[in-house]
Amino acid sequence: MEFVDVDIGKNYEKQEVLRDVKFKVEENEFLVVVGPTGCGKTTIGNILSGLEKPTSGHVRMRGEEIEPTVHNISYVFQEPSCIPWYTLIDDVMMGLVIKGEEHQKAVQRAHEVIKLVDLQGFEQYYPRQISGGMKQRVAIARAYATDPDLLIMDEPFGHLDAQTRYLMQIEIMRIWQQEKKTVVFITNNIEEAVYLASRIIVLSKLPASIKGEYIIDLPRPRELTDPEFLRIRAEITDQVEAID
Amino acid sequence: MSPNTTESIKSVFYNLFSLFIVVILWTIFSWWQNSPFFPSPGEIWKAFIGLLTHGDIEGISLGTHIFWSLVRIFAGFAAACILGIPLGLIMGLWPRLYNRTRAVIEPVRFIPPIAWIPMAIVLLVGFSRYAFLIWLGAFFPIFINTLLSVARVSPIHVNVAKVFGAPRWYIIRKIVIPSVMPDIATGMRVGLGIAWMCIVAAEMIGGEMIGIGRLILKYAELIRMGEIIVGMLVIGVIGFIMNEIFIVIERHIFRWRSEISID
Repeated sequence: MEFVDVDIGKNYEKQEVLRDVKFKVEENEFLVVVGPTGCGKTTIGNILSGLEKPTSGHVRMRGEEIEPTVHNISYVFQEPSCIPWYTLIDDVMMGLVIKGEEHQKAVQRAHEVIKLVDLQGFEQYYPRQISGGMKQRVAIARAYATDPDLLIMDEPFGHLDAQTRYLMQIEIMRIWQQEKKTVVFITNNIEEAVYLASRIIVLSKLPASIKGEYIIDLPRPRELTDPEFLRIRAEITDQVEAID
Repeated sequence: MSPNTTESIKSVFYNLFSLFIVVILWTIFSWWQNSPFFPSPGEIWKAFIGLLTHGDIEGISLGTHIFWSLVRIFAGFAAACILGIPLGLIMGLWPRLYNRTRAVIEPVRFIPPIAWIPMAIVLLVGFSRYAFLIWLGAFFPIFINTLLSVARVSPIHVNVAKVFGAPRWYIIRKIVIPSVMPDIATGMRVGLGIAWMCIVAAEMIGGEMIGIGRLILKYAELIRMGEIIVGMLVIGVIGFIMNEIFIVIERHIFRWRSEISID
């Protein structure tokens, strides 16, 4: 049985957004979904997380329809998502608290993931007091804290400047290698995709469907100027930009 | 000295200076008018001291008037909070409830408290008359602010909780309520201000001879402008003080909103 099995279509009113988006997610892989802007990538994230229902088809995890109250899912949103009235540690503990984890253990786990994203010393800070990059690290820590079976990230670095974005990519790789999770990472940045992915699926323009799939088995940490890296990157870029 | 402290010292200075200018203009104007209907600041001060030490024509002191007015205000205001906040939350969370009753709610909002006076006289007695009129003034700002604020709760914050499988009650308690609290506080501050402004209207019909509004009415019958102006100023200054206290409390409670950043 597949770990996660996705086969969905989605319409908003008359606009068809997703058409036969069909793929599988293997346990502990880093799957990157890449596609042009405005092709319904966020919709895929929302449906995978159970926040939105597909118009047709299904998302199944180990054969069961996905459901936030049943499955252990985490979602790092594209928009800044820190809760303004929570201190950093309360924010990171949120998922654990909701899932009924014992307070002492929740605090301990929160400290672990705060260390993982390198934010020690900021536990009592409010979102207003920290930078954009730090806020996104809080969101990642919060997502990791619950030890999710499926971790969805929807352009988590889209709002960051190029420098911070680059550092965050290195960071997310380090975290993933330290605590292996099944990740579905959504982005429109092909370099980012090739840098992170163990597998890439490419989406077409609206209505989105799967256009191609790439297994990336370059050794990590990857070198952005490595010829093989550049070749794969160019190939995917061609496919994303190609007129259907 | 930090630029902030310098700025606040400056602002205190300029406020005092503006007050001083107004008193000077007032003095010149009253001198030029030379009429018992336009008393000078000196005469107003004398009226104030007289009310403070000897009380009014019935011997009731200014402090007693103020005290009872405040008691009435807080009764009406408390009732407005107790009803307005939960009702605003409920109608905000279930917008259909509001959409299907707005033809009842909205027109009532536009009837000024003064227009309710005859009804209040006929239907209510004693303390409830005061409380009712003040409640009318305070209720709608609190209710409407709460209601509109619920609609503005950020969907992303709700979704963060939802993805973790949070039950509706958790979302209401931990996301919706903290997020609307600052707007509720603003509604309360505005409501308290309006309630206080209704005090004269409320005390017109309350029957008792005590209260700062009643004090003004007593001296209105005697056309004693000095005491009337004292009453007006007392209302103004107390309203100002209550508002300032409220702002300080708001700032303290909602520290998470303050603008400090280490970016």
